[in-house]
Amino acid sequence: MAEEELDILEQSELSLLETLDHVLNRGIVIAGEITISVADIDLIFLGLNVLLTSTETAQEVLGERERRATELERRVVDASEQTSEGSNE
Amino acid sequence: MSLYAYCLSDEVTMQMLRETRGLAGAALVLIEDEGLAAVVSRFEDDTVSVTRENVLAHQRVVQQVLTKTTPLPFRFGTLVNEARLRNYLALQRSALDAQLKRVRDCVEMSVKLIQNREAFESATVEQQLTVGNEVQSATDHGAEEQSAQSKISNNSESAAGTAYLKMKRRAFVGDELRQKRAEELASWLAARLVSVVRESEVSVRSEGTLFVKAAFLVERVRLEEYRARLRKAERERPEIHFLTSGPWPPYSFCDISS
Repeated sequence: MAEEELDILEQSELSLLETLDHVLNRGIVIAGEITISVADIDLIFLGLNVLLTSTETAQEVLGERERRATELERRVVDASEQTSEGSNE
Repeated sequence: MSLYAYCLSDEVTMQMLRETRGLAGAALVLIEDEGLAAVVSRFEDDTVSVTRENVLAHQRVVQQVLTKTTPLPFRFGTLVNEARLRNYLALQRSALDAQLKRVRDCVEMSVKLIQNREAFESATVEQQLTVGNEVQSATDHGAEEQSAQSKISNNSESAAGTAYLKMKRRAFVGDELRQKRAEELASWLAARLVSVVRESEVSVRSEGTLFVKAAFLVERVRLEEYRARLRKAERERPEIHFLTSGPWPPYSFCDISS
């Protein structure tokens, strides 16, 4: 995370990120007993140890979800435009 | 229905948790096995959403225990049934006792070092220019040889190739410099705090601007001394941004896996 971005973040956000960094990536693991979901994307680990990289991973997953949503929206728009062009011919 | 597990301790009591609630406002319960207790609450779903509310609820419970004694925190999202948990406590008893002894009367303090971008880029460019001049000299020498050997050459392709190689070289040197810088900072930080910490876990990264990530196991009675040394270290390095936090439960110092 860039230093400039740190300056913009509120203290509460920094505190949450620090909390995520601790609770997601570290602590006692009972193998196969961690089941978490991030923003409707299920990350289910059965019979495996969790190997998350805390804040960065959570943010990457959320970012990927947004990217997919944007891509899906673009495809819908493209498809509707093609349909419109076809009906005009 | 599952149990959500927060932490383990051989000193925790319900009195310590009297006014604290767990995820989804659930009541906290102790699952005990011969003096060792897990702090848990009932949880209805199969997965635990990584939401602000849930993360803070997890942390709030473990932090409440930390105010009275030092527990071994479970990683966020640990769902288990009672039989599995009791089995775990029994089988891992000696390892858990060893970890509790390791962190007894301590807390975890976190330090992240982030380089001031302007200062680092300025220093990096200077070093890269030095290397670039060396590359340019070698390139010029090579170019003279090539010209002497062959009068037939594609000047634009040669120039583009040279520029590409120089760019790659600079990027490589930049990565090396960042790695070296990160390692130097990690050693410096560890040296500044070694006398006031029980243990440390330090990692470096050369990508992005987060250079050093450190966790220190500090005895509660030495916290003020630790903070004083850390403030002094910060003054020594004004070009470095110190992101400090704590006290935390010892998430980084309870490495048990089963």
